[in-house]
Amino acid sequence: MSLNFSSPFFLFGLLGISIPILIHLLTRRQQKHVRFSAVYLLFQSQKRSIKKSKPNRLLLLFLRCLGIALFSLALANPFFSLGSSEAFRNNSPSSYVFIFDDSFSMRSQVKEKNLFDLATQFLSKLLKQVPEGSEFSLVLASRPARIDQGWISQKGSFEKLVQNMRPSFQTTDIGHSLEKAANLLKTAKFKSKKLILLTDLDKNGWDKGIFSEIDPLPPIPLQVFNFSTLSLKQNQVAVESVQTHQEFLARSRILKIKTKIKNLSKENQRFPVSLILDNKSEKEVLLDIQAGQTISRDFSIQLRKGDPVHGQIKAGDDVLPVDSRRFFSHHPDQNIKVLVVDGDPGAVSHQSESFYLERALNPFSVSVSHIDPTISTLAELPLRKLSDFSVVILANVREFPIDYELELEDFVLRGGALIFGMGDQIDAKYYNEKLGNLLPVTLEAIQNIDKTHLLFKNIKHPVMQAFSAKAIEEMKDIPFKAIYTIQARNKKKFNVANWFTNKNPAVIETGMGKGKIVVFLSSLDRAWNDFPIQPTFLPWIQRWTQYAARGLENISYQNLLVGETYQQNNDEGRWVVQTPGGNLYQATTQDGKTTLTETLDPGIYSVFKIPEDYLQETITKLPLGSQPAGTFTVNVDTKESSPQKISEEDIKAFLPDLKVSIKNPNLIDSPLPSSEGKELATPLLLLVAGILLLEGWTVRRE
Amino acid sequence: MEKASENYDPQVLARISSLKISAMNLVDGLLTGQHRSRHKGSSVEFAEYKDYSPGDEIRHIDWKVAGKTDKYHVKQFEQSTNLKCTILLDASGSMAYPSPNDNKESKFDYACNLVAGLSYLFLKQFDAVGLTIFNDQVIQHIPPRSKASHLQHILHGLSNISVEGITRVDDVLAGLAERLQGRSMLILISDFLTRDQNIQKSLKLLSSRGLEVILFQVLHPDELNLPFEGDTVFESLEDDPMVGLDPADIREEYQKTIQDQIDQLRNTSNGLGIDYILMDTSTPLQQALSYYLLKRKSLIKP
Repeated sequence: MSLNFSSPFFLFGLLGISIPILIHLLTRRQQKHVRFSAVYLLFQSQKRSIKKSKPNRLLLLFLRCLGIALFSLALANPFFSLGSSEAFRNNSPSSYVFIFDDSFSMRSQVKEKNLFDLATQFLSKLLKQVPEGSEFSLVLASRPARIDQGWISQKGSFEKLVQNMRPSFQTTDIGHSLEKAANLLKTAKFKSKKLILLTDLDKNGWDKGIFSEIDPLPPIPLQVFNFSTLSLKQNQVAVESVQTHQEFLARSRILKIKTKIKNLSKENQRFPVSLILDNKSEKEVLLDIQAGQTISRDFSIQLRKGDPVHGQIKAGDDVLPVDSRRFFSHHPDQNIKVLVVDGDPGAVSHQSESFYLERALNPFSVSVSHIDPTISTLAELPLRKLSDFSVVILANVREFPIDYELELEDFVLRGGALIFGMGDQIDAKYYNEKLGNLLPVTLEAIQNIDKTHLLFKNIKHPVMQAFSAKAIEEMKDIPFKAIYTIQARNKKKFNVANWFTNKNPAVIETGMGKGKIVVFLSSLDRAWNDFPIQPTFLPWIQRWTQYAARGLENISYQNLLVGETYQQNNDEGRWVVQTPGGNLYQATTQDGKTTLTETLDPGIYSVFKIPEDYLQETITKLPLGSQPAGTFTVNVDTKESSPQKISEEDIKAFLPDLKVSIKNPNLIDSPLPSSEGKELATPLLLLVAGILLLEGWTVRRE
Repeated sequence: MEKASENYDPQVLARISSLKISAMNLVDGLLTGQHRSRHKGSSVEFAEYKDYSPGDEIRHIDWKVAGKTDKYHVKQFEQSTNLKCTILLDASGSMAYPSPNDNKESKFDYACNLVAGLSYLFLKQFDAVGLTIFNDQVIQHIPPRSKASHLQHILHGLSNISVEGITRVDDVLAGLAERLQGRSMLILISDFLTRDQNIQKSLKLLSSRGLEVILFQVLHPDELNLPFEGDTVFESLEDDPMVGLDPADIREEYQKTIQDQIDQLRNTSNGLGIDYILMDTSTPLQQALSYYLLKRKSLIKP
């Protein structure tokens, strides 16, 4: 049990008690002795006077002394505790860990400032009250939680650091930040440790999973300052996703921008949603969204040939504008690079698969089909770099070089597309043994039949939907003389895109990683059918190629969340990424990948390839001759947008060992919280007020 | 021997002489022969006629008037002197109050002058006057005499009294009432500063015995106004314990209390047909005495 003072200097005020005593002694008149006749009358009068008014100078003196003493004590800010005194003494140097929530929800506007500004302002005020000689550290609570500043004793430097902090665009991660803080406290210099969390108590930041993963926290008091109480309004709307979609199969020039808008408020509202292209509002609609609901809305725009489209969707106008807009980027008509591997090159060119495929994929020029085929023999295959291609067509390939199947697997996993064509060279045994990961089926045998046809019944596959009825009729008439029969592998999923009329699958497809595998169970030359010489073969193979390549396209135009790493499968040359703010970062290349981790601001990032003759190490300006190599977008994670706050009970449930107290920050006067102990200043001041009243009343009676 | 030495104590003698001079000054300046009795009696000086009633002396019937009116009238004559007056003087401690603010005489000195003055007045008119001095009991008793030399006894009785003890007016009065003859006069001089509430009863007793009673209440202005300032310890002149207080705090209440007491005494006296005179020691004694004589005169028909 102990009593401590945070400002013991004010205890000198107790000397002020001497003032009323002095005044009392000075004003006390010398007592005279008078012999008097009617003393009994004096007694009577005195008795009556007590009832009416009896000023008591000693009582007044006592009240005044008590008032001054209590006022001095109140100024000294005493703390009473039943525990040990050292643990909470406010005036002794302590080790302070400040956990600062710098997630984007702290960007909520409050008049002309935002919560983050108010929190830094508040922290600066807190620091002014920290006893000299204390040490500080700062943990940032946005994902990933990190120690921004280890233990430091220089208050001035720490204050500067606090003032220079900027809010991030990331989500909150209180669990890991508490873990980091607990680790810091293990190395704290002082016995008195203080853990102070400044946050808006966004529910998203308190992940039950994370709290169950992290090490148990030591039983230290945690003081939480809830800044959400300062917000005047709630976050209203968030743009949850934006996806671009070009109807490539129909050769359409229309770009569909599909967006999802969520009403985060508790009321049905109408939000203006606008499509902004190159900083100009292109289209605007009003959307009625019910409380808590998400609705989708498509915008369609006409694409200009070859030009990339950069823009954003903006919804409403609320206190948190960060999540009310979402960036997108679209590169239309990218050429698809296709590697055609001919497993059975014939002496006569038209007897080779590659002959038909090359002409079908690129009949005139690149600009028409946007497919750029490269023909390769099996022998040349190891020399080819798979990452240069989006699609690899393996036509009648008997077997691959040793362990090449692993490269193929990696290629598909990263988003590449494989299209298999059958033929008499295929070694079914080799395929079944080595390509078990790639093929969802086992090849059984070649089935020679008199005549079979492609079956078009209830065709819903996107590739086939683009064909006209006339074209379908034409395709139905194509005779097939030989096909491969297949057997499904255990636990492998695949989709049959087309059947033959003899009830054998004609085209199967399956997904693997980010890529796609398509198997055509007949030959891609004229050995087993006449399809390659039909006019419908050209669009058929083109569209399957485009369809299969989509997985890779999606990867090349990455839509990342803030903080996610940008990756591209090309490590040749030097790459530079320009951020939305105009900063340049050199991408690092490692293990065949080029990566960039500085995706901290939402917006559209441009990737450039630096000319090879540019030798300077650091790049401050985009060098001449840099080639634009695409863009990617970075957007905020709208999980953080939810205005839901965690309750005090939930926090205590998450942190059962910690003594948690939640306070609302008072920006005008922010006394440094004591981690333990009962503050006595307020009751003392109330007592002083009461004594002053009593004193005034007594004096008035006199 | 002791008494003889006391008698010739120069201080006592000086005091007697000063009392005598002041009494003579006091009385000679006033109207002489005005001190009349309320009691009617036979005398040479005709006063009025009265219808005859059985029991009246026949020798007082005015036969001339009976002859004229055929009705019997009895002559009445003014009775003068042969008045017996006893002066009761309070010599309790409270009477010794000397004001710390001035060097004037004490209440007792003032009262002594009054006694001397009255005695001289009575003796000059050949009335008998006696003196009884008391505090809680009778200290000294000088029986009434009408000899001119009796003044000397009275003055001597006044001069060697030590003023002390508590006031017990009622006890003394009860004792005296038995001894005093009817139709005599009793003058009671006191400050009446006593806790006793039985004074009314005693006055009633005196009044019922046909005594003519005159009360002189002698008070110092300090006792009326409590003019003291600052924290003061009041020590009693009698047996009350000390009290320390700031007089300013209770002044109003005190004044009210003492005034109440005075009013009560005055009302009681008036109700019993007793003369009551409040003597403030700041008032010149001559002025007080002449006021009294005038008042007495107005009571008696010429």
